[in-house]
Amino acid sequence: MISDFTYLRPGSAKEALQMLSKHQEDGKIICGGQSLLIIMRQGLVTPEYMIDIKRLDELSYIRFDQKKGLRIGATTTHRAIEKSALIKDKYPVLVEMEEKLASIQVRNWGTIGGNLAHADAAGDPAPVLTAMGGSVKVASASGERVIPLDEFYTDLFETAMNHDEMIVEVMVPPRPPKSGTKYQKFNLLDSDQGIVAVAATITLNGRTCKDARIVLGNAATITMRAKEAEKVLIGAALSDAVFEKAGEAAAAECQPVADIHASEEYRRHLIKILAKRMAKAAWEQAKISG
Amino acid sequence: MNKYTVINPHEPFRVLNTHVHNVDGWAKVTGRATYTFDVKLPGMLYGKILRSPHPHAKIKNIDFSKAMELDGVKAVVTGKDTLGVKQGIWRRYKDLCDEAILPVDKVRYIGEPVAAVAAVTEEIAERAIDLIEVDYEVLPAVFEPLDAIKKDAPEIHEGFERNINVTRHIEWGDVDEGFEEADYIREDWFRCGGQAHMCMETRCAVSSYTPDKKLTIYHSNQSPYYMQGLMAGVLGMREGDIRVIGPYTGGGFGGKFELDGAIFCSTILSMKCYRPVKIVFTREEDFIATKRRTPMFYYSRTGVKKDGTFCAREAKVFTNGGAYTGMGATALYLTGFFHSFPYVWKGYRYDGYRVYTNTLPSTSMRGFGAPQAMWCSEQQIEWIAADLGLDPIEMRRKNAHQEGTILPGQATIASCGIDQCFDEIKKWIKSKGKLRANRSIGISACGFMSGGIFNWFDTPYSFSSAVVTINQDGTVELHVGAQDIGQGSNTTMAIICAETLGVKVEDIKVHSGDTDHCPPDLGAWGSRQTLMTGNATKMAAEDAKKQLLEFAYAQSGLNIVYDLDIKDRWVHAVARPERGYDFGELVKKALRGKDGQKIVGRGYYTPHRKGMISPAYSYMLQGVEVEVDEETGKITLVDSMTAHDCGQPINHLGLIGQLEGAFSMAAGYGYLEYMPYEDGKLMNPNLVDYKMIRAPEMPPANIAEIDTYEPEGPYGAKEAGEGLTNPTAAAIGNALFHRFGVQMKECPIRPEMVVNALKEKAQKK
Amino acid sequence: MERQLIRLNVNNQDYEIYINPKTLLVEAIRDHIGLTGTKRGCDTVSCGVCTVIVDNMAVKGCSVLAVQTEGKKILTVEGLEVDGKLQPIQKAFLDEGAFQCGFCTSGMLMSATAFLKESKKPTEKQIRDGIEGNICRCTGYNSIVRAIDAVAKGKYTEDK
Repeated sequence: MISDFTYLRPGSAKEALQMLSKHQEDGKIICGGQSLLIIMRQGLVTPEYMIDIKRLDELSYIRFDQKKGLRIGATTTHRAIEKSALIKDKYPVLVEMEEKLASIQVRNWGTIGGNLAHADAAGDPAPVLTAMGGSVKVASASGERVIPLDEFYTDLFETAMNHDEMIVEVMVPPRPPKSGTKYQKFNLLDSDQGIVAVAATITLNGRTCKDARIVLGNAATITMRAKEAEKVLIGAALSDAVFEKAGEAAAAECQPVADIHASEEYRRHLIKILAKRMAKAAWEQAKISG
Repeated sequence: MNKYTVINPHEPFRVLNTHVHNVDGWAKVTGRATYTFDVKLPGMLYGKILRSPHPHAKIKNIDFSKAMELDGVKAVVTGKDTLGVKQGIWRRYKDLCDEAILPVDKVRYIGEPVAAVAAVTEEIAERAIDLIEVDYEVLPAVFEPLDAIKKDAPEIHEGFERNINVTRHIEWGDVDEGFEEADYIREDWFRCGGQAHMCMETRCAVSSYTPDKKLTIYHSNQSPYYMQGLMAGVLGMREGDIRVIGPYTGGGFGGKFELDGAIFCSTILSMKCYRPVKIVFTREEDFIATKRRTPMFYYSRTGVKKDGTFCAREAKVFTNGGAYTGMGATALYLTGFFHSFPYVWKGYRYDGYRVYTNTLPSTSMRGFGAPQAMWCSEQQIEWIAADLGLDPIEMRRKNAHQEGTILPGQATIASCGIDQCFDEIKKWIKSKGKLRANRSIGISACGFMSGGIFNWFDTPYSFSSAVVTINQDGTVELHVGAQDIGQGSNTTMAIICAETLGVKVEDIKVHSGDTDHCPPDLGAWGSRQTLMTGNATKMAAEDAKKQLLEFAYAQSGLNIVYDLDIKDRWVHAVARPERGYDFGELVKKALRGKDGQKIVGRGYYTPHRKGMISPAYSYMLQGVEVEVDEETGKITLVDSMTAHDCGQPINHLGLIGQLEGAFSMAAGYGYLEYMPYEDGKLMNPNLVDYKMIRAPEMPPANIAEIDTYEPEGPYGAKEAGEGLTNPTAAAIGNALFHRFGVQMKECPIRPEMVVNALKEKAQKK
Repeated sequence: MERQLIRLNVNNQDYEIYINPKTLLVEAIRDHIGLTGTKRGCDTVSCGVCTVIVDNMAVKGCSVLAVQTEGKKILTVEGLEVDGKLQPIQKAFLDEGAFQCGFCTSGMLMSATAFLKESKKPTEKQIRDGIEGNICRCTGYNSIVRAIDAVAKGKYTEDK
C-alpha cells in the first residue's frame, strides 16, 4: 500500500527547490511517477511530503545548438524525445532507445529526469547518455552543478545528489565528426528492460579509432564504463578481431549479478556478444557520419 | 496478416459457422460488462488474507486481538471458524479431498491462507493483517517430487506413504511383445515446467450471508454449479440455499473451477459478520496462491520398426503435485493417455505418480497434462525419425489415428481429420521455400478430448442441460449452465439454438452464470461445452421446434407426405418454401393452443459408454518457424501454421480466436513462461519477471480448418482451443533440433539453455 | 490524512471528488466517480488493463496520481460511444472478434484509440508496437491487430 503523504505542487522550479530544501529527506520529488509509484506501493519509499513537478513546463524542453549540444529539460517525457525530429536528426540513438523503452503509456507520462534519478542499473537512457559523454545538471535552493553521468551513479538505486537536489537538465555534448553511437539491450520481450545492455560510441580519426566509450547496463550495480574494452579499441585499426577482443574485455571486467533471468556466466557471455556487436555497429555509423 | 483456409467445407448453414458477432460483444467493447471485480453491494466490506510464510509448519496459535481492535475491522476468521472440512473437486473419492482452505492444523505451502480480515476499507484490512500474530512450529519441507518420495522425506499428508498422492496405470496391447518386435528403441528423460494461468481478472469473490441462512456469492469462476456444490459441502448447507453468480469472467484457463481463497474466505467472513465481503487477489497473490500447471518428470521408452512403424511405448511420470490434489488426479491420467496420441501402438503402458510437495498445488491448466505429454512425445518421435533417416511427417502419418481407430479399453475414434492436417502442414512448409539461414521449422501433432466422461464430482445431474423458451413475439430465452469465460460459449449456444430453431442469433437471449436461474452444468473445462452443452441446447431447441411444428401442421392442414421446417424465422413447407408463416405470428397463435403456456423445450446430455476419456477427439498439426540468434540463444517466433480438425465449426470468429489464443499460451509454455521456485518460494510473482507473449512477439497464425463430421457432437462439432495448447512447445523444440541438432529436454526453453546446449554440442565434437 | 477536493474532467463531464492525494487515477475513476469499465490487473505497471487517455495520450491509470490530471481531459472506454453509436474501433473489434474474456478490452481500446489518432498508415509492426503495453491472455493479439489495421485503412466511416 502507498503510504500517506502531504501533497505539494510548486508553481516553479525555484519553489520546488525551496520545498526540497525545507523538507530534505522527508520530501520526495514526483514527476511522471512511472517508477516511483511502484516502489511506493511496495513500501520501499515512504516520503512525508510529495513535491509534484509534473506541471513545471519551464523544465520541459528540447534545445540544440552547435556549441552547447543537446539540452533536454528534466520533465520532458520519453515520448517527446522519441518523437523529436531534432533528436532523430542529431542523436538518432536516443530515439532508437526511447522507442524500446517500456510501453507507449509509460513514455507518455514518464520523464527523462525521473528515469535518471531512479537510478535503475537496468534503465535504458543512462548507458546511452553516458556513452555520448552526457551530464546532468542538478539544482538546489543554493545553486546548480553539472555532474557527468560517469560520476552520477554511486550504488544500486543511488545517485550523487544530495537530499535537497533535483535534476533540472540533461546535457549531451555536440557529436564530433566521424562518430557513431549504438545501443542494444538483450531481453526476451521487446520492450523489457535489458537482462544486460550495451551502449557504444566510436569516434574515428581516419581509419583508426580516436575515442571509444563502452557502457554496460545491468552488468553491475550501476551503469558501468567498460574501460578495458575501451582500451582495446582506442588507437586500434578496427576490425572484427578487435571488436571480438573488446567484447571479451568487457565480459571480463563487468560485475554482473545472477538472478532468475540469467546466471553470472551467461550475463558475461551476453556482454561479450553485445559489446562486440555494438562497437561494430557504432563504427559502421561513424564511418558514414559527417 | 494470417491466412485462413477451409478444407472439405461442409454445406453452408444459415447461422452455424457464419460470421456472427459475439453476443456479449456490445457489453465488452463499451465497458458495460460487469465482472466480479466490479461488483459492489450495499454495506460491503473488504477482505484480505493472511498467508503462511512457511512451506510447512504446524499452526500452534493465532492471536488476532490487535487486529480486532483496529477501527473499521468487522471480522477476523481462521480455520477455527470453519467446519474443518477437507474438500476437493474429486468429491467421490474422499482420500483425494484433502484441502481445507483455511487449515486448522498446519500449512503446506508458502502463501496458503491462514486467516482473513474484513474491514470497511481495503487499506484497513491490509493493516489488520499485519497485526495478526501466528505462532508456527516450522517443519522440514520438501520441494521436488523425486526428493519427496525418499524414505526419510517429511510427511505432508497423513497416511500418504512416501508422499505419493495418486497413481495411475494405463495399458493396452502387448508392450513387451511390441518392444521385442522393434528394430530400434530409444529412451529419454524430460522435465516439464509449470505455468501460471495468468487470467487478466485475478481471483475474486463477493459473498453475502444473511441472517435467514442464505448465501449469495459473486465469483469469477468456470462453473457456478461446482462452486455451489463445493460450498454446500464445506459449509454443511443445502445447495438450494446457496446462489452462485458468475458474472462476466475475466479468463479461467482451467484455474477457476475449484474453490479458491477468495470465495472461501469471503464467505466465512460474511458468515461471521452478516455483511457482504469482497476479496480481490492482487496479481502477486494470484501468482503465489492459486494453483498452477503441473510440473512433470517424464521417462519415455519407445520402440519402432526400421520402417517407422510404431511398436511399443512405455512411460513413467512423476508429477510435482504440490500441497493438495486439486484437479491433479485428472491431469495425471490425461497426460498418460495423451502421451500415446495421436498414434496407434501395438502396446502402450503408462505409470504415473503424483507426489505431494510443499509447493503451490498444481492442477488443471488448458491442455490438462497434454502439453507436457506432447513436449516429450513429439520431440522424441522427431529424434527417432532422424536416428532412422525417415521423413518425420510421413513417419507420423503412417502411425496416426483414423476414423474407426480403437484404443483398447480407452477410446474409439469416431472422426479424425489428421491425415489432411499432415497434407496442409506439408503444403505450408513447401510454400515457405528456402528459409533464412538463422531460421528453421518444427512441427508437432496432437489430438485432444471434447469433454470428459468422468463423474468424480459425483453429480446426480445430467452433465449439461438446457431450456429453450419461446416468447410470444418469437424472441427466445435460452437457459444454460455453461459458463462463458471468454471462449464464447454464450455465442456458440446461441448459434446452435438459432440454427436448430430456424431463427437468428439476435433473437436469442442467453442466460448463464447463475445457479438460481440456470440449469446445472459441469461448466467450462476439459473442452466440454461445445459438445455437451451444445448437444443439450440442440435437443432443447429441437423439442421446442417440434412443439411449434405440431401446431403448425395442425394449422396448415398439410398433406401427410409433406414436411415443415423453419429457416430465417419462416415456418414453411420444405417442398414449397414460399408457403408458410412468420415465426413470431405462429408462436403467438400456438400459445392459445397451449392454454397460454409458452413453448418450452428441454435438453440434456451425459456421455454414456464412450470409453474412459471422451466421446470425441479433435486433431491438429502445429508448424512453427523459429529464428534463433546462435550467439545469444534468443528465440523469436516468425510464422506459424495450424491445421485443425474440430469436426463442424460452430462459432467462426470464436474458432479463430481460440486457435490464435491457444497458440500464444502454448508458445509461452515452450519458450517464455518460466516459473522458478526456490525453497518453495516463487521467484517471479509479477508481470515484470514472469514473461508472456505480447503483441510484438506473436507471429502470424495461419489456420487450415479441416471439416470432418463427429457423430457425437452437435452438428458434428468437436472442441477447439484446448487441443492446440498441446503441440506448440514441442514444435519449437523440433525447430531447434532441425537447425542445430540439439535435443532440449526441459521446457520452457530459455536462451541460456540454448547457448549451453550449443556449447555442449561443440565440445562433444 | 488530509483529503483534498479535486475536479476531474472525464468523458467531457466535470466531477468533484474528495480524495486522499495518493489516490491513483484508476481508483478515482472506478471508486470515486463510479465508472468501472477501466480495470486493474497488476501492481507493476505491466498489464495495461487500466489504460485511459489523458489529453490525447494513452496512460496507465495505475501509475498516475489522480491529482496530476486536474484540468486535463480524461477519456475512458465509456466515453468512446457517442449517443449510443459505436466508434469505428469498437465496431472493428466486434467484426474481428478482437476480444474474448473482455477484461483487457477497455484498456486495449484506449491504447488503440490513442494510437490511431497519432498514426497515419501504420504498418503491422507499428500496430503491434502500438499495443505492446497491453497484455491479452485470450486472443493472441492478431485479431486486435486486424481490427486496428481495418480502422487505419479507413474501412469504417463514423456514424454521423
